[in-house]
Amino acid sequence: MKYTFVKQPQGHNGTPGRYSYLKNKKILLVDDEEGLRQMVCSILKKEGYEQVKSSGTVKEALELSMSWQPEFAILDVMLPDGDGFFLFEQMRSFLDIPVLFLSARGEEDDRIRGFGLGADDYVVKPFLPRELLFRIQAILRRTYKEENPMLKLAFSQVDFERAEVIRQDKSIALTAKEFAILQTLGRNAGRIVTIDSLCEAAWGDNPYGYENTLMAHIRRIREKIEENPSKPASLITVKGLGYKLITKD
Amino acid sequence: MTSVMRLIKRFVITLILSLMVLLVLNIVLIIAALQNDKESLGGWKTASKLTETLTMGLDGEYQLSEEGKRMLEEGNSWAVLVQDGTGDVIWHSENLPEEIQLHYSAAEISWYTRGYIADYPTTTAAMGENLIIVGNPKERYWKELYPTWNLNLIKNLPRTILIFFGANLVIVFLIYMIVVSGILRSVKPIVQGIQGLPGGEEVYVKEKGLLSDLAAALNRVSEMLRSQEYELKKKERARADWISGVSHDIRTPLSMVMGYAAEVEEETEASEEIRQKAGIIRMQSIRMKNLVNDLNLASKLEYNVQPVKTEEINLVALLRETAVYFMNLDIEGKYPVELRVDIHCISDGVFSGDKELLKRAVNNLLLNAQIHNPAGCRIWMGLSEYPKEFCVTIEDDGIGVTDEQLEKLRNTPHYMLSSGTFSEQRHGLGLLIVQQIIAVHGGRVAFGQGIEKGFRVDIFLNKRRKAIKMEGEKG
Repeated sequence: MKYTFVKQPQGHNGTPGRYSYLKNKKILLVDDEEGLRQMVCSILKKEGYEQVKSSGTVKEALELSMSWQPEFAILDVMLPDGDGFFLFEQMRSFLDIPVLFLSARGEEDDRIRGFGLGADDYVVKPFLPRELLFRIQAILRRTYKEENPMLKLAFSQVDFERAEVIRQDKSIALTAKEFAILQTLGRNAGRIVTIDSLCEAAWGDNPYGYENTLMAHIRRIREKIEENPSKPASLITVKGLGYKLITKD
Repeated sequence: MTSVMRLIKRFVITLILSLMVLLVLNIVLIIAALQNDKESLGGWKTASKLTETLTMGLDGEYQLSEEGKRMLEEGNSWAVLVQDGTGDVIWHSENLPEEIQLHYSAAEISWYTRGYIADYPTTTAAMGENLIIVGNPKERYWKELYPTWNLNLIKNLPRTILIFFGANLVIVFLIYMIVVSGILRSVKPIVQGIQGLPGGEEVYVKEKGLLSDLAAALNRVSEMLRSQEYELKKKERARADWISGVSHDIRTPLSMVMGYAAEVEEETEASEEIRQKAGIIRMQSIRMKNLVNDLNLASKLEYNVQPVKTEEINLVALLRETAVYFMNLDIEGKYPVELRVDIHCISDGVFSGDKELLKRAVNNLLLNAQIHNPAGCRIWMGLSEYPKEFCVTIEDDGIGVTDEQLEKLRNTPHYMLSSGTFSEQRHGLGLLIVQQIIAVHGGRVAFGQGIEKGFRVDIFLNKRRKAIKMEGEKG
């Protein structure tokens, strides 16, 4: 067996330049296993997150939350002096921050409880560092939006604030549906998004049966963002499954 | 309760037959008993014979022959001859008792013919114009004093007998029903209890009445079954909990193995060889992760502790979602997935089942292709619709399987299901889970060779199936 390693281009899983402002957010990590705390801290620091603090108990975590005021928390569920759900509720009473549960408990009930309390994500151990980083980044991006979020593509930029595409110094307006589709793709830049998720984003709860309409919208989006719409460089089709938006960062 | 009806029918037939046999037997017995008396016609024959043996002599005196004398002696009876007109006794036997009168009026003759003379039962016979009266011993005959019958009564006798017979039958049947319904009342709850036992119902029968000891025994059995079932469930739950506990405890250390391996793999300063080795560690730890997840789910499905949540699922969306999840994790793009959907399914491929479990099954098949083809392979997913079922196909162009491997895959039970030795070759937990999940949904799984020489799995899901049943369905 031979494994070849391909270094990923930046912006795929790593640090897109336009999100660098997220890297100085204060992150609190709570887990009773010291080895795991060290590892996650080192992964986060390596990724560029400057301010990471960790604790092994509920008590310490609450004290740290009060004094340090973290902006994001990664919580284990099983802790020596209580559980993560309890800690979450306590923190919520004085701190409104996004939370990701990182737990060895993968039961449906636990996940539902976590999400029910208002958690932003629930990752079950064991996890790949890349996956964890992506989820953290997604939460931070959702919670802490940039002043003027611009999505850089191969031949254009998308200004979500003004709902328009800027290509060759000309601005082209996006329709509501195009905006919703592009926003969903942009939020998951570099990853395939299913046809169904895109339809749901554009048409709501009962998204089935809009596939042909979606194709028409994608074609129009391409006309706005691509240099050659029949040979797209940014908005890629994944046959039968969905679409992928490649960003430039 | 047809068995009860059968029982009653059989009884009634037996009853009628035995009554008929009894009737015939009784008639025969009565006839046989009367036969003896018939010959002498109850003494009347003696009287008429006597007339032949009594003759008038030359002297005008009546003479009884020797035969006549013997007849009277043998019968221990006496006789008188009453003259017509005068009513005087013109002859009498020598042994005439003293109290017998020697003159009879017409009324007396009529009365004595019907009845008794001084308690001697009489029989008479005509001898010319005269009447011979034979007095039999007091204890020999009983005479009916009023021997007339309504003719209608005699004419209707056959019908009357039949009515009697029918009435008897009805009465016997009523008695039987009363007795039987009493028994049935006490049997019924026991029968119901026994019928309920195989269904695993909680059986309790009131311990009173005719069959209270049976009811008590049945209650003991039910109690025993329930406690055994409870123990078994407890044991199974304990096993599932144990596996769940182990898989939980292994997650945190495995996180570190995976995390550090991935970190070393991406370490630009490390040598190519070290990074490759770290890559192997990462891959293997992912295998372990999948194994832990699978083991946990497999044991839960096996021991029926996994709840199944049914909802309406769009199968196309489910396949897309699973494929995209898989492809987004396949960063090197070694396993491109293509989805081919039967055109009719695009909006109508709605199936009701447990979404998470079905996603898990499909994902397991994708991971299976990944594990067995480390060099990468193309994967095709398909959904076709048949009148009664959906078919989800997952096929790759990887190394595939030999016929022998396929045979083993189809026929060798997994160690989680087999109680035999561990020496036989087994396939991964991944496929077992797929089978279990599909079985829970009332479908079936077929393994085979792909068109491109790879591995192919077909999952058939029944469109209309009964509610999901966990019990008794094993993959």
